[in-house]
Amino acid sequence: MKNPDAIVIGAGVVGACCALSLTNAGLKVLIIDRGPVASGTTGAGEGNILVSDKGPGAELTLAIRSRDLWFDINTDIGGGFELEAKGGVVVSRSAKGISDLKKLSVLQKENGVEVIELDGAGLRKIEPYLSESVEYGVLYPGDAQCQPMLAAAQIIRAVKKRGGSFIQGENVIAINSNAGSLIGITTDKNNYSCPIVINATGTWAGEIAKLAGSHLPIMPRRGFILVTAPAPKIVHHKVYDADYVANVASSDADLQSSAVVEGTASGTILIGASRERVGFKADLDISILRQLARQAISLFPVLSSIGLLRAYRGFRPYAPDHLPVIGEDANISGLWHAAGHEGAGIGLSPATGELITAQITNQSTFIDPTPFSPKRFQGSEYVAV
Amino acid sequence: MHNVVIVGGGPAGLSAALTAAVAGAPVLLLDSNPRLGGQYWRTPADNFGDQNENHFDLATGLKLINSVKAQSNIQVLSGAQIWSASHKDGVSTLRVIYQGSEKIINTGNLILATGAYDRSLPFPGWDIPGVMTPGGVQSLIKGHGVVAGKRVVVAGSGPFLLPVAAGLVKSGADVVELLEANKSWRWASSILVLLENLSKIKEGFYYIEAISKGKVRARFGQAVVGAYAGENGELESVDIAKIDRNFKIKKVRNIKCDVAAIGWGFTADTSLAGALGCKQVVAKDESVVVLIDSKQQTSITGVFAAGEITGIGGSELSMIEGEIAGKSAAKFVGCAVDISRSDLIIRAKKQRFAAALIKAYPIKSGWRSWLDEQTVLCRCEEVDLADLKDSIVELGATDSRTAKLLTRCGMGLCQGRICGRFVVDLVADQLNISPTDIDRIAAVSRPIITPIPLGVLAAGE
Ligand SMILES: Cc1cc2nc3c(=O)[nH]c(=O)nc-3n(C[C@H](O)[C@H](O)[C@H](O)COP(=O)(O)OP(=O)(O)OC[C@H]3O[C@@H](n4cnc5c(N)ncnc54)[C@H](O)[C@@H]3O)c2cc1C
Ligand SMILES: Cc1cc2nc3c(=O)[nH]c(=O)nc-3n(C[C@H](O)[C@H](O)[C@H](O)COP(=O)(O)OP(=O)(O)OC[C@H]3O[C@@H](n4cnc5c(N)ncnc54)[C@H](O)[C@@H]3O)c2cc1C
Repeated sequence: MKNPDAIVIGAGVVGACCALSLTNAGLKVLIIDRGPVASGTTGAGEGNILVSDKGPGAELTLAIRSRDLWFDINTDIGGGFELEAKGGVVVSRSAKGISDLKKLSVLQKENGVEVIELDGAGLRKIEPYLSESVEYGVLYPGDAQCQPMLAAAQIIRAVKKRGGSFIQGENVIAINSNAGSLIGITTDKNNYSCPIVINATGTWAGEIAKLAGSHLPIMPRRGFILVTAPAPKIVHHKVYDADYVANVASSDADLQSSAVVEGTASGTILIGASRERVGFKADLDISILRQLARQAISLFPVLSSIGLLRAYRGFRPYAPDHLPVIGEDANISGLWHAAGHEGAGIGLSPATGELITAQITNQSTFIDPTPFSPKRFQGSEYVAV
Repeated sequence: MHNVVIVGGGPAGLSAALTAAVAGAPVLLLDSNPRLGGQYWRTPADNFGDQNENHFDLATGLKLINSVKAQSNIQVLSGAQIWSASHKDGVSTLRVIYQGSEKIINTGNLILATGAYDRSLPFPGWDIPGVMTPGGVQSLIKGHGVVAGKRVVVAGSGPFLLPVAAGLVKSGADVVELLEANKSWRWASSILVLLENLSKIKEGFYYIEAISKGKVRARFGQAVVGAYAGENGELESVDIAKIDRNFKIKKVRNIKCDVAAIGWGFTADTSLAGALGCKQVVAKDESVVVLIDSKQQTSITGVFAAGEITGIGGSELSMIEGEIAGKSAAKFVGCAVDISRSDLIIRAKKQRFAAALIKAYPIKSGWRSWLDEQTVLCRCEEVDLADLKDSIVELGATDSRTAKLLTRCGMGLCQGRICGRFVVDLVADQLNISPTDIDRIAAVSRPIITPIPLGVLAAGE
């Protein structure tokens, strides 16, 4: 493609959504990835689009907006990525957990999230196989899911149909600027000149920032997911223990897990995911699989006889304050970052694309973008906590 | 002295166990089948009559099985399935499902002899009940004494079609067609190899005699390229084509049958070796096998491999490889034993035979032209050729991993054991490239070797 208006580095779900939103705003977009579509974390995660796991704040506002935008995108590009408004069920079994969950759901409700409190009988009406030990839970009808790889691929297909292009197999090795303004990028194969570049390289976004002389403290947080053999319909929603919410916000490096259990259209059940900070450690850690299995069985005892078929892992991109980075680089104008969405990148990507596009095209934004700005790390020796 | 742990109770594993034990090493032999023997000597349940006459060589197998059972320093765990394994700092950890719970076995001396399974190729209708693999048909006959059907077509390529056809004839089935896709003259170029492997010729004649009793005549250069179901949803007829040397269809006829046993040789089951981290390579027949040195040692010191997982070559090669691996492992744990010159000579002879087999029974790329858009590729997840093409043309997949993740092809219950190998070829075909070794090896990578019940997993520490 000659003279793109904008280049998106990264063909994960975040890059795809940025590219679609820019394209729909009238820009000619070129997407570049060193690998095939969704070959990063997008191809190694789950497809939960959750509003249930976030407390009030900027991220919840982003999540609510994003959830709705997913359904708009579904209509816009003609679907094909298994989007389903499935609903989430969060349960708790301890007195403290229940009272925390109650408080959280009240706050969420005030912020526009639909919540329905359920007692044991109510829970078992919608989840007949749920453990008898569960007596309290909250149903979040807004929670949805999609198949993230298909989502990225279908969105990029739409971008191409609308005049954009996608080049794979090129590694970006330099960000070129002149007097603080972006002028283009260099890959291991080509040079591209372009005034606008979006860094959507997820867990590797810090490396791109470094090429530009900036500092972006994005680090990997490993997660495992279990996939069972096809089973009869046992789980109807996304069901998880309230501990999960505590885990998501945690900064503890040690292993944490709280199984989110869900059935898929093909009959397999997904159980995910663990969270631990061990760098890019690739080996299959059996003790984590055992822990996830235990937690899933404690929610649904009948899972005990279902076979584990596969397990896979991915590396969530996270920032020290657990908020995504969405905004213009602190040093180079024209370089934009859209990365660091941790365990919510699938859910948050459409709103991320919208927020980036609005700022690039000088439109008003639906939310104050300041909390997400990459400038928040500038100057500070921001160390991971 | 430390145990030698052996996985696989087929010709290779049994030979390895006996050899290592006789050399003085205590052996633990693990096998997932309820009875020893592996694929080749799949023995019937004890209460089922004598099957000896259905098998050219069951006597050798029974003798070996009995010697292993009689050897006091061999402990056998049948029905033990390894679901996961890893290797670290000289120690292999095997996680085994045995009698409904999990056992962990750590060892510094391991022999892998996990064998092979049938290789399938897709064609329109191959997912109809009644279309089977020869191995599937044979294990029904050998293991359960069941004749799979009345009018049977045996087709595909390779010498294994003969024993299957013979077994069917002896069990009273009507083998209506025996079809070898390659031409009969292919063996001519390997006549010297054949002569030095006379036992193989004998085996061939044994089966040919058995088959001719059923008035079955083998036809060459023909293949089953389509299958049709009757009203009950089961196989009713197949299309048989004359094919050229490249396997492209020349002329088609239809024939009624209720079972079609179709096989294209074997695929080594390297999942366990892969989980341990043993280096795998792509063999001449494009199958993925475990790399070994002359002592049968894999890329990991103290981990040996023998039999079909090092390359497809039949039971005799498996046995000699097993013996050599048994000696190597026994020596590794301190026994005074050495690989002899004659071991190496026998192995080399059998290897030449294996190489000749691969040359005589090539699988040519023309099979890809038998497929239509609706031909199912992944039977577990019901993915057809159109879906696969869509993932490449429309969704931009440029490798088999991406195509797999976008279509779920190969992600079902069998974990790509059936379709993984040919999907790599079909993806490359669409993209007009040749598959890389990395693609082929990735397609057989299965860190979870067999499904484990979540309850058993959860109970482990
Ligand atoms: C186990 C697990 C479960 C998860 N579950 C969920 C969930 O249920 N819901 C949810 O919302 N999120 C979930 N996530 C998180 C989600 O997967 C991520 O937040 C999201 O995929 C990040 O997308 P991305 O586009 O930013 O990054 P990626 O998908 O990683 O894309 C980045 C791309 O950049 C490319 N790239 C990197 N460097 C370069 C370079 N120098 N040159 C060219 N290209 C480059 C990479 O090849 C890659 O394709 C989960 C994550 C994990 C690990
Ligand atoms: C169905 C079938 C029938 C065959 N019939 C003939 C024939 O008639 N004539 C002929 O010449 N060749 C035949 N072959 C070829 C045959 O595979 C070899 O000649 C011979 O059996 C190979 O011996 P092996 O010891 O390498 O493997 P196998 O005999 O395949 O033995 C491997 C053993 O390892 C076990 N195993 C594998 N993975 C695990 C695990 N994770 N945990 C525990 N145990 C495990 C298996 O259950 C099996 O018992 C046949 C092959 C197949 C697949």
